[in-house]
Amino acid sequence: MVSSKTSGVDGRCHLRSIHKPNADVAIAIISLALGAIFIYAGTDKLRDFLVFADSIAAFAIVPEKLINLMALGLPPFEVIAGLMIALPVGRRIGSLSIALCSVMFMLALSSALMRGLTLDCGCFGTGTPSRARMWLEMCLDVFICSGALYVYLDVNPHRYREQA
Amino acid sequence: MKNLPECLRSIVVGRPSALGEESPLKRRFFRDVASVSILMLAGLVVGLGINRLTKAPLPLVYQSPEERFSASLATLISTPPLNLLPPTRIQLEQFRSAVQDRAAIILDARPSVFFKDGHVPGALNLARDNFTRDFQRLVPILKLAEEKPIIVYCSGGDCHDSRLVANALLVLGFSNVSVFTGGWDAWSAAKLPVSMGGAT
Repeated sequence: MVSSKTSGVDGRCHLRSIHKPNADVAIAIISLALGAIFIYAGTDKLRDFLVFADSIAAFAIVPEKLINLMALGLPPFEVIAGLMIALPVGRRIGSLSIALCSVMFMLALSSALMRGLTLDCGCFGTGTPSRARMWLEMCLDVFICSGALYVYLDVNPHRYREQA
Repeated sequence: MKNLPECLRSIVVGRPSALGEESPLKRRFFRDVASVSILMLAGLVVGLGINRLTKAPLPLVYQSPEERFSASLATLISTPPLNLLPPTRIQLEQFRSAVQDRAAIILDARPSVFFKDGHVPGALNLARDNFTRDFQRLVPILKLAEEKPIIVYCSGGDCHDSRLVANALLVLGFSNVSVFTGGWDAWSAAKLPVSMGGAT
């Protein structure tokens, strides 16, 4: 079941359920793909916290005292979010986590791009720093964020509420 | 009738006119954000736990690569490397013949993660990040082949790791040390042989 968003007579947003098996399959595929990407990205960062901490420091936007805490907390968070979005039971929180994470990466990348920095984002694995790679990761973040928001809005528990 | 963007806007912005005072969507959204925050804390707890189990745990306060290197070097020598002559630089052709003829000890100064993903055949990993531990591991090999020149490389381009490691080796008494400035980028761009796997 998926939902279509409409407004009721009271002016509030109501989510009407419509049976669309194809859309259900699409949601499942998007969720699994996003889950796989985030599990991969998280486990890759878990291999070496220090490399990821250096990637965060290169952005020069996080206070020094928080860099290592972020480097330690973000990879497991990504893995957990990836697992949650892949499982129907945790899909809503998982998708919102992934969307917020992508927004954070996008903000960090755009800030670095605007300041003319060339660095390794560290968002989806490590590599040689390059502007082209930064733009590519930015595009990937946009796609991931859109996909995660789409999943989040679809799995909202109020979607079964019929319009009056 | 409101369309999807309007509803989305209502959920995020929370305009009373669109959502009403008791909007369940708005409440649900903020409850979900609170759940995500709890998930972040859980991630941090797991990360701290994993960090404690690793061989070289990350300290809670960040140290820059330069600070880490200085601290690492300070454990090996009593004085910092002052007024050092820069090590000799070599180009790809010289480096390639040294690798092929096994005429030099090749040292990879990149972090072990990158080394495992691919390195110059026969290279040893003396990571700038992990200098003290790697150096102590490699001392027997380096001492045995003392007469051989040592060539250090890192990622290439603007990377400083090879220069830092070469300088440290000069301080530690190795005289014939040079740096391959092209580094891994130049080696892999030339499609030369590559070895994979753990620290040698």
